[in-house]
Amino acid sequence: MGEMALAHLRVVECGSLVAAAYAAKLLADLGADVIKVEVPRQGDPTRQRGPFPGGVPDPEASGLFLYLNANKRGITLDPRAAAGRRLLERLVAHADVLIHNVPPAEMHEHGLDYEFLSARNPGLVMTSIAPFGLSGPRAGYQASDLVLWNAGGIAALNGGGPGTDDLPPLKAFGSQAEFQGGLNAAVATLGALFERLRSGRGQHVEVSIQECLAAILELAFEFWPYQGLVASRLGMKPIQPLDFMECRVGWIFLCCIEEHQWAAFVDLMGNPEWAAMEIFSDRLSRAANWDALRLFLAEWVKDQSVDELYRAAQARRIPFAPVSTMGDLLASEHLKARGFFAAIPHPRAGTLRYPGAPYKLSRTPWCLRRPAPLLGQHNREVYLNLLGLEERELGALAAAGIV
Amino acid sequence: MSYSRRPPLEGIRVADFTWVWAGPFCTLQLAHLGAEVIRVESQSRICVTRLLPPWADGEPGVNRSGYFNQYNQGKRSLALDLKNPAGIEVARDLVAKSDVVCENFAAGVMERLGLGYRELRRIKPDLIMISLSGYGASGPQKDFVSYGPAQVPLSGMSSLTGYRGWPPMHVGISYGDPTAGLHAAVAVLAALLHRQRTGEGQYIDLSQQESLIALLAEGVLAYEMSGTQPLRDGNRDPHMVPHGVFRCAGEDRWVAIAVRSDAEWKALAAAMGKPELADDDRFASAAGRKDREDEVEKLVAEWTISQTSESITEQLQAVGVPAFPAMTNKDLAQDAHLQARGFFTYLPHPDVGIRQH
Repeated sequence: MGEMALAHLRVVECGSLVAAAYAAKLLADLGADVIKVEVPRQGDPTRQRGPFPGGVPDPEASGLFLYLNANKRGITLDPRAAAGRRLLERLVAHADVLIHNVPPAEMHEHGLDYEFLSARNPGLVMTSIAPFGLSGPRAGYQASDLVLWNAGGIAALNGGGPGTDDLPPLKAFGSQAEFQGGLNAAVATLGALFERLRSGRGQHVEVSIQECLAAILELAFEFWPYQGLVASRLGMKPIQPLDFMECRVGWIFLCCIEEHQWAAFVDLMGNPEWAAMEIFSDRLSRAANWDALRLFLAEWVKDQSVDELYRAAQARRIPFAPVSTMGDLLASEHLKARGFFAAIPHPRAGTLRYPGAPYKLSRTPWCLRRPAPLLGQHNREVYLNLLGLEERELGALAAAGIV
Repeated sequence: MSYSRRPPLEGIRVADFTWVWAGPFCTLQLAHLGAEVIRVESQSRICVTRLLPPWADGEPGVNRSGYFNQYNQGKRSLALDLKNPAGIEVARDLVAKSDVVCENFAAGVMERLGLGYRELRRIKPDLIMISLSGYGASGPQKDFVSYGPAQVPLSGMSSLTGYRGWPPMHVGISYGDPTAGLHAAVAVLAALLHRQRTGEGQYIDLSQQESLIALLAEGVLAYEMSGTQPLRDGNRDPHMVPHGVFRCAGEDRWVAIAVRSDAEWKALAAAMGKPELADDDRFASAAGRKDREDEVEKLVAEWTISQTSESITEQLQAVGVPAFPAMTNKDLAQDAHLQARGFFTYLPHPDVGIRQH
C-alpha cells in the first residue's frame, strides 16, 4: 500500500457534535493527521449522546463519538482562557486546515478569527460550519439537527402521505442535517486545498447547514420557481408500487418504476387475476388506484419471506430492497465480502465493528488506523513534541485547568 | 484583502457519464468548484431527470425540467450515441483529454462499452475514475439492480425512521443519491490532490449503500453494543425534551422546537406564559420531561396552535431556544435570509429563461 492520499496534511478540529467532526473524519480516514481539540474535563458533547455499551452512560464509550473520532488524536484546551487561545494559535500555525462548528457569535471569544490566524499562517484553510451561515439576518439563530432538518425544507416533504394531515413533518433518523453539513464542508475544504497548490494561499470556507439541505430537495424546490406549486408531504406518489409492505417477518420495499418491472412482479406472483384489471394497467393508474392495489398486494406479500422475495425479485431485475435492520446489515454476506464494517479495539469500549469506507480508492485506500482518543489522550505528544512546551509549562497549564 | 477570482478546479476536465441524481450531484460539486464538466448524453437514453417535472410554466420538454436544470448547472453537454462504435471512439478521445471520469451505470456497463478503467487508463495513465453504484463494484450482490428510492430502506435508514408504531418510512427525498454524490466528490478531490503530488491516478469504487450506512453509525453501534434495534420514534430524541414539530395557526403550518437543556426549558416555559412550569419539579430535568413526554408535547402544542410558526420562532430564538418553521419549497424560495446571503442563482437559460435555482 502506498502513502495515504491526505497523509501530508495536518488538520485542527474544534468540533462539537457531528458536523465538524464528520468533515474532519473524512480527511482523517484518508490519512490526514487530525488533532481534535476538546474542552478540558467535559469534552465534546457527543461523548454524552451514546449509544453506550449495555446502555450504561460512559463519556469514553459513546458510540457516536467513537465512530466520528477514530483516526484522530485528541487534546484538551480551554479556548475561553487567554492562555488556551494562545495554545490554539500556536497549534493552528502548524496546521494546513482548521475545521470548526463553534457558533458564529462565539468564534471571536474562542480565538477563531480568520484574519488573525491567516496572518501567521497564510496557507491556512479555515472552514467554519454554522447552522445558518456566518452572515445574513439569521446568522445568530440557535439550532439543533431537528430544527435544521425543518429549516432546510426536507421535513416538510416527509410524512404519512394522503390523509395524514394530523401528523407532523418528520425528521430522518440520527443527526442527518449535521452529517450533510460535514460532507459539504469536506468537499469545500479539499477544493480550497487544491486551489492552494496554485496560489500558495489558504482561504476562509463557510458552510451553512440550512443551505446544504435546501440544495438537496430533489425535484421539490423547483416546483415553486418553475410552476408556482408548493410541494407537500401529503401528496400522492406519482407512480406505484413504490411503498413499504409487511412480510411474514420484517418489511420489504416494493419498487416498480419501469413497466417491465411491474410485469415481472406480476409474473413472480403467479399472474393473479386481479393484476389484469384495467385500473392497474400502467404505473400512473396503479398510483391513482393504490388504495385498492395495496390491499391485493398486502394479502400476497404478508406470507412471503423478506429475503426470498428480495432475491426472487432481483433475479428478475426488479429493484426491490429489504428494509434492512441494523442486525441485517452487520450480518450481510455482501457487506462482509466487501469488508465494509471495520473493527478496532478501544480501551474502554472493547472491539467494535464500525461503518467503514464509504468509498474504495485503489491506490490510496481508506484505512482505520487508531480508535477515537480518550479525553486529552495526546496532550503530551502534541504539546511537548509538536509545540515544544516544557514539562513544567504543561504541568502548570494542567493545574490551571487550561488543558 | 484580495481574492483570487480563479476557481479551485480551474483547468480540471471531467468526462461525465452519469445520469439521474447521484452521479450528476457529484459532478455538480466539481462544476461548482470550477471544473469543466462535460456530460455525455444521448437521444436514445435521455436522462430520467429531463423527463420529469417540474416543467417551466407547466410545459414539458427535455430542456424544461427544473429537476435536470437544478442539478446540471455549470456543466456542458455532449450528445453522443454510445451504442455506435464511432460514438465510443469519440468518448475515448474525450477521456484522453480529461482528468476525471465519473459514471453511475449499473455495474459492468462501462466495461461492456469498452470504457472500463483498465481500458481507459491505457489511453490516460493518470486518470481518476469513479463508479457510483447501488451495491458497489464487488461482492455477491454487485449485479443487483438499485433505484434511488430503494437505497433508503436498503441502507437501514427506513427501519429507523418513522412515526412511533408506524411502518418504516422514507425521508422525503432519495437521500442516498446526494449522500453518494457528496462522498464521491470527497473521494475524487482527495485523489486529485494525490495525483498532483505523485502523478498517480486511481480507480474509486463507491457503493451507495455503504456511503449511506456511513451516516447511520448511531443505529449500527446501538446494535453492535447492545444487540438492540433503535425504535422508530417520530421526531423525538433520547436526550432532549421537548423535541418535536408542532402545529401552528394557518393551513398545514408547523414549527420545530428542540430544548437542549433544563435552562432552555425554563426559557420555553416563560415564553409560553407558564412560568409555573419552570418551577415544577416534575419537568425540571430532561429525565422528568422524558417520563411525561406526551404531557409536555401537549402543553407546547396548545401554545403553538394559535400562533404563526414565524412568531413562535422569533419568540423562542429571542430567548436562545432552537426553533424554526417547517419550511416549504415556497418558503425557502422567498426567504429573506437566503436571499441576503446570495444562496440562489439566477442565470439565463435559452429555453426557460431566468429561473431561481
